[in-house]
Amino acid sequence: MTESNPAAAVRVAEAPADRARRFAWNPGLVIGLGMLAVVAVAAVIAPLVFGTQATGVGTDPGQASSAAHPLGTDTLGRDMLARTLVATQSTVLMALFATVLSSVVGIAFGIFVWLAPRRLRELGLRLIEFAVSYPTMLVAIIVAAILGQGVVQVVVAVAVANIAGFARLTANLAAKISASEYVTTARLMGVPVHRLALRHVLPNMAEPILILIAGAFSGALVEISGLSFIGLGAQTPAFDWGTLLNDGLSRIAVNPIVIAGPAVALTFTSLAALMVGDGLAAAANPRSNSTRARLVRAEGEPAVVTIEGDDTVLIADGITVKHGSTGRPLVSDVSFTIRRGEVLGIVGESGSGKSLTASVVARLLGEGLEASARRLELGGTDLLGRVSGRTLASKIGLVYQDPGTALNPALVLGTQLSDVLTIRLGFSRRGALGLLARAFEAVKLSDPEGRLRQHPHQLSGGMKQRAMIASAMSTKPDLLIADEPTTALDVTVQREVLSLLKRMNEQSGTAVLFISHDLGVVRALCDRVLVMKDGRIVERIDDVATLSEDTVEHPYTKQLLAATPTVAVKVPAPTPGEARS
Amino acid sequence: MSTMTADSFAAPGPGTPEPGRPVKAATLAGAWRTFLVRRVAGLLVNLALLVLVTFLIVQLIPGDPATAIAGESATLDQVELVRTQLGLDQPLPVQLWTYVSGVVQGDFGDSYRYRQPAMDIVMTAVPYTLTITIAAVLLLLVLGIALGMAIGVATRGDRRRWLDLSFSVVTGIISSIPTYVLATGFVVVFAVLWRVLPPAYSPAYNIGAAAILPIASLSIGGICSVARIVRRETAVILEQDYMRSARGWRLPTLTLYVKHMLPNLLTTALTLSGIILTALLGSALITEAVFAWPGLGGVIVQAIAVDKDYPVIRAAVFVIGLISLVMTLIIDIILGLIDPRTLGGKRD
Repeated sequence: MTESNPAAAVRVAEAPADRARRFAWNPGLVIGLGMLAVVAVAAVIAPLVFGTQATGVGTDPGQASSAAHPLGTDTLGRDMLARTLVATQSTVLMALFATVLSSVVGIAFGIFVWLAPRRLRELGLRLIEFAVSYPTMLVAIIVAAILGQGVVQVVVAVAVANIAGFARLTANLAAKISASEYVTTARLMGVPVHRLALRHVLPNMAEPILILIAGAFSGALVEISGLSFIGLGAQTPAFDWGTLLNDGLSRIAVNPIVIAGPAVALTFTSLAALMVGDGLAAAANPRSNSTRARLVRAEGEPAVVTIEGDDTVLIADGITVKHGSTGRPLVSDVSFTIRRGEVLGIVGESGSGKSLTASVVARLLGEGLEASARRLELGGTDLLGRVSGRTLASKIGLVYQDPGTALNPALVLGTQLSDVLTIRLGFSRRGALGLLARAFEAVKLSDPEGRLRQHPHQLSGGMKQRAMIASAMSTKPDLLIADEPTTALDVTVQREVLSLLKRMNEQSGTAVLFISHDLGVVRALCDRVLVMKDGRIVERIDDVATLSEDTVEHPYTKQLLAATPTVAVKVPAPTPGEARS
Repeated sequence: MSTMTADSFAAPGPGTPEPGRPVKAATLAGAWRTFLVRRVAGLLVNLALLVLVTFLIVQLIPGDPATAIAGESATLDQVELVRTQLGLDQPLPVQLWTYVSGVVQGDFGDSYRYRQPAMDIVMTAVPYTLTITIAAVLLLLVLGIALGMAIGVATRGDRRRWLDLSFSVVTGIISSIPTYVLATGFVVVFAVLWRVLPPAYSPAYNIGAAAILPIASLSIGGICSVARIVRRETAVILEQDYMRSARGWRLPTLTLYVKHMLPNLLTTALTLSGIILTALLGSALITEAVFAWPGLGGVIVQAIAVDKDYPVIRAAVFVIGLISLVMTLIIDIILGLIDPRTLGGKRD
C-alpha cells in the first residue's frame, strides 16, 4: 500500500506556498534514487544478457535452490533468477507507461476543470470525487472487463484508474494557488489565462505532484503486477513479476523458493519508489531538530530583595533562557516581583523574550530551550524544584494569544475546561460544570449551560477568549498569566476582554502578569510595566499614571511611547476608568 | 446529541445578548439534518452513476460486444443468442431502460455459466469478502492508530532518534510489500514450512483458522501505513496551541493524550481510512486469489478471465461499488460524531 504518499503530497500542498524553501537532500531520498537506478540498470541490461536463459526451455525442471540456479527453476526448467531479472524490463515499462499516461491525462483534466466555466467546473469536480471514491483496483478490473486481458489493456486499465487521483490533486492545488496573492496580482496585471497556468500555477505544483508521481508509480507497479497475478494482465509467452508470482503460487507447496525472485523484486522496487516519495516530501518540508526543554537553578547573587511579611506573590530572579542546540541567549537575567492584586505588564516587540519569560514562570517552556533562574517562587512554592501538577494547576491560570487555536476543536467546552477541575482539583463532574457555568456567567457569556455543550467553532473569538478567562479564573489561581490575550481580537472585542481582565483582577485580588507588544494597552491595564528588548529589561516603569516621554530614560521606551500616541488621552478605549465601570 | 432547539448552526453573533430575548447557545441538530440530507442525496447520485457505469461495461466493449462475449470460436447463432440475451439488438435507450428496471428489482440477468441469477452468485460471495475486509479494517485502525500514537509520543521533540529511525525503516519496508506478495509469503511460512495454518480456504478446514492468514496479510501493510500517517500527525498535533492549553491545565499524561489528542488524531485517521478502506477492498479482490477464498475477487476474476460472464461482472461491480459507498458514509457519520466541524465542510 502506498497511502502515505498521497497523504504526504496533500501535506505539502497545505504548506504555505509563498514560504521560501531550500531543497534539502536526505538519506531516504538518496537511497531510494539509488535503488531505482539499480532497477533501471537491470531493466536495460538483463534482457540482453539473460534473455535466452530466461525464455529457453532448460534441462532441470522444478529445481529447488542450487548453485547453478540460486532461485530454482520453473516447470519448464527455466532459471527463476534470470526470469525475474528479465521481467524487470516489462514490469517497470508497464508501470512507467501507466504512470505517465495517468499523470499527463490527470493533470490536463485537473487544469481543464480549473479553467472551465463555473458550471462545468462543479460537474468536473463531482466526477473526480465519484471516481476517487472507488477502489483503484475495481476501476482497473472494470476497464480490464471492457478491454479484455493483455499487456496493453492492463496498462490502460491501471492508468485510467489512477487518473482521478492526479486530477483531484491538480484541481485542488490549482484552486489553492490561483487564490494566492501573486496569481491574483498577475491576473490584475492582465496576464492571459494560459500564461498564468504555465508560468505561475504549474511550477508551484511541481513538488506535490512529483511526490504523487512517485507514489503512483509504486501503486501502478503493484496494481499491474496484481492484475497479472490474477491472470488479467500479461498472457503467455509475455511475462512480468506478477505472472512469475502466479506461476510460483501453483508450485508453492513443492518448491517455494521460486516465488522469492518476483516477491523480492516487487518489494524492492515498490520500496524504492516509496522512499523517493517520502524523501521528496521530507526535502520539501524539513522537520526542525530540537531538544527537550530544561529548567535549572542558577547560582549567584540575588537581584531581587524581598521583605518578610510582604504580600509578594511571585518572585522571579535571574531568568535566563538559551536556545538548546545553538546556545544563543534569548532571555538574559530578567528579574521582577508581583504583589497580590497587582497587574504587571511586560511590553516589547516580537522576539524580545517577553513570552519566553512568561513561559518560564508558567513552567511551560517550549521544546528545544534551556532556562535557568536563581530564584522562582510563586505563593511560597519553589517553582525550580519538583512541583506537582496539582499545585501548578491551582496556582497558575493561563490565557493565550489566539483563542481560536488554544481550545481543542474536537471537544465541547464543558469537557475540556472541566478536566482541570475534576482531575487536578478534586471536583465532581457536576460540581465542575456548575462552577464553570457560574464562571461563564461572571464573564457575561449568554446561556452558560448551553455554551458548555458547544464546540469552540460555534463561538466567536471574543466569546472563546472570555471562556478561556473564565476557565483560568475557575481554579482561583494566585497568578494569572495573560500572553497577548487581545492581539488576535478586533478592537471592540479587545476592549471587552481588557475590562474583563481588570474586573477579575479587582474582584478576586489575583495577581496578573500581562504580556503585550502594545504599550497603549499595557498602560491602560497595568500598575507597573517592564519594557523588554533583545531578552533584557531595558526600563522599569513603576508609575504608569504619569507616564510620558519625559519620565522614561531608555531611547527604546521613548520610541515605543512615540509610536503609541494619545491612546490614553483621546481615545477612552481601554482606560482603567472605563474598565472599572 | 442534545435535543435543544436549534436556531441555526452558526453561533449567534458575538457580543452582548439582546435585551428581552435571551440568547440560546446553538446546538448541532441543524448541522446533522443538513449533513444527512446532503449525504443521502449524494448517495443517490452516486448510485445512479454506479448503475450507469455497470450498464456501460458491456456497451463499451470495443468492436461488436456480442462477438467479443461469445468468443472467437462461436457460431453465428451463438453470437445472435448472446445479442438477444443482453438486449444488444435493441436501441440504446431501450437497453438502458430494460437494464435499469431490472437493477431496481436486483435483477442483473442470469449467469451464462451457472444458469442462475447473477445476483445470487454475487451475494453468496459477499459475506466472505466482507468478513476479511471488515476484520482487516478494524485491526488496521486500532493497531495502526495505537502504534502511530505511541511512537509519535515517544519520539516527540526529537526524543529517541533510534526509535524514530527504526520505526520509519521497518514500517516503510513492510508497507511497500504488496499484499498478495505478503500473502504468498505467509502461505510459504505458516502453511508450507511450519504447517500451523491451512494454506487456503476449503470446507475441510475451520473457517476461523483459514481466515487468519488472509486477514493478517490484508491488514499488516495497512497497519504500517496508518501508523506512519498517525505518527506524523501526532507530531503536528503535539505542537498545537490547544495541547499547550491542556499542558497549562497540568493534566496527567493519560488524559492529555487519550482525551485531548486522540479525538483530533481520529479525525485525520478516519478521513484517511476512507482512502485506505477502498484500497483495501481492491487488495482483497486480489489477495483472495492466493487463498482460494470464495469471495467477490474470485467471482469477478473467474467471470472476466474465463467465462466472460457479463451479468455476473455487472452485479459484482455494482455490489463492490455499493459496499465502498456505504462504508464511506459510515466513516463520515462516525467522523461527524467525533468532530462536528466535518459536518459542514465537504469531504476531502
